[in-house]
Amino acid sequence: MSGHGRARRWAVVTALLAVLLALPAVVGALPADDADVPAADLRDAVAASAGVAFSGYAVSAGGLSLPVSDQLPGVADLLSDRTAMRVWWRGPDEHRVDVVSAAGETGVHTDAGGAWTWEFESATARRDALAALALPAPPDLVPAALGRRLLSEAADDELSRIGARRVAGRDALGVRLVPAAPAASVARVDVWVDGGTGLPLAVEVVADGATVPALDTRFLDLDLTTPPAGVVAFTPPADARVLPGEDTGGLLREAADRELSPVRLPAELAGLARREVDGAPATVGLYGSGVTLLAVAPLPGRLAAGLRSTLAAAPGAVRDELGTRIAAGPLGLVLVEPPRSGAYLLVGTVTPDALAGAAAALTGAPS
Amino acid sequence: MIGVELRKTFGRPRTWTTIAVLNALPVLVAVLLRITDLAPRPGEGPPFLSAVLTNGQLYPLAALAIVLPLFLPIAVAVVSGDAVAGEAQAGTLRYLLARPVGRTRLLVAKLVAVLAFVLVTVVVVAAVGYLVGTLLFDAQPAAAGTSVSGTSLTAEQLAGRTLLAIGYVAVSMLGVAAFGLFFSTLTDSPLAAALGALAVLVTSSLLFTLDAASPIAPYLPTRYWLAFVDLFRDPVLWRDVVRGLALQGVYVGVLLTAAWANFTTKDITS
Repeated sequence: MSGHGRARRWAVVTALLAVLLALPAVVGALPADDADVPAADLRDAVAASAGVAFSGYAVSAGGLSLPVSDQLPGVADLLSDRTAMRVWWRGPDEHRVDVVSAAGETGVHTDAGGAWTWEFESATARRDALAALALPAPPDLVPAALGRRLLSEAADDELSRIGARRVAGRDALGVRLVPAAPAASVARVDVWVDGGTGLPLAVEVVADGATVPALDTRFLDLDLTTPPAGVVAFTPPADARVLPGEDTGGLLREAADRELSPVRLPAELAGLARREVDGAPATVGLYGSGVTLLAVAPLPGRLAAGLRSTLAAAPGAVRDELGTRIAAGPLGLVLVEPPRSGAYLLVGTVTPDALAGAAAALTGAPS
Repeated sequence: MIGVELRKTFGRPRTWTTIAVLNALPVLVAVLLRITDLAPRPGEGPPFLSAVLTNGQLYPLAALAIVLPLFLPIAVAVVSGDAVAGEAQAGTLRYLLARPVGRTRLLVAKLVAVLAFVLVTVVVVAAVGYLVGTLLFDAQPAAAGTSVSGTSLTAEQLAGRTLLAIGYVAVSMLGVAAFGLFFSTLTDSPLAAALGALAVLVTSSLLFTLDAASPIAPYLPTRYWLAFVDLFRDPVLWRDVVRGLALQGVYVGVLLTAAWANFTTKDITS
């Protein structure tokens, strides 16, 4: 075979390889159509999108390493790992979110009366009643739900437009929320909204001083046809163990009944006003609005001691006269233990300075 | 030409020895499970192994999952690496090409023989798995099983999805076969070709576990190997299965073109 033929054949291979390697980049660079929609209108469209039915595949990546992997492994994984989700959404109280792993699955089937959680790994089904307050769960990380929640209290002057981008093969209009509160530890929230339906397709939360998002969740596939009811509903299989639900309401009532709080919570902390939350016990105070929130909860002594040792062992923990503090992305956490009174846990999306100020205000120490 | 190569592959005792050895591990695991009754918890150990104690019909899947990460690719790499380099080492490649057949045709015949080996191996592992599973464990012919999503699957659905999974595992091995065949045209040593294909696999498996490599993860040849589990979700999650098929297609296409470009222009000296 001549050298000429050899060169030609290898040229064919090289050309084939070049085309294949360039393909993802070319598809990724397809321009997105922007539309002239004001940011406030986009927020309103997002707020009205809870009833839009869809099914899809979403991936969220969290960078919040909370030192709670022993106590709350589900929450720790959810906020620090890559989570792949299949979503079937018929409405706000009828949807199913499956967290898909290589060899297993955890499905949350929500209906009007509560939610079934199926875990393949343990072959268990758990029925939970709807609760006013609950721990973060996979459905909260679905871009549509998270975007709706984060934009829900955004003021007009906190919002701006940031062009358009293609998400899950659709044109998504960008809206950026920069919280106005000086105490905010969230630098910005970028939400990419489907122009036609108002569904948030991707959400990025960036902490103060960070370059990569602390939380990034996006659809990779989206289908706007209504999924069949049979796919969303759930009946526990015959050989599954059915577990009783977690009694969040009971825990909250128990917390409210305890005489834990000798300190009266102030009307304002760290420059944030106190707000009322349905279902929260009176001893728990919630401050702020939008994406700048601070919660104050009294802790029984046993729980405080356990939390103190967990926090102290966490990397980056700061211990001073105000208490033990850690920060995970935009989330700050401080355990305040004033002398001669019970312990307090302060947690929220506020800056370390604001957190220290709030702790000082509660203990009466100079900040 | 193709018939000659097929007869050559399946006429060799070592081909059948390889397949027999491949089946030894799942059979050993099944016997141990039967004796101890200690199945891994669902989600731990190889996929589906936890479910076989209650439904032996799932054992073909468990058997494939047991050999998929290492044994099966090693066998495919050895056979495909031997395809051309083995003839060169034995000194028979010159005589093969002295016959009036094109080199492209010889390459295609070698490829078909390797593909046939992959298919036969996977089907034999699944068949032996079925026999062992139904002999050693309870079979549930009427009411089948529970999907990964917690819904019930009928026996027909389960059988259909098992067949799809067997096909998918076979296709997943094509990338390995293509690497082995390509390296086999580069060297005169079958061992070097097989080790080259295995080195690619080890690299791919290692990179897949590394977060820093996530931008290239979708292009790793082993990325979608476990996606056959997605066939047992309800509804079936086709996303990774389709991507896995396409990715294997791309690897086979590119590597075979490269093998063709190399082999048809190579000086054959042995």
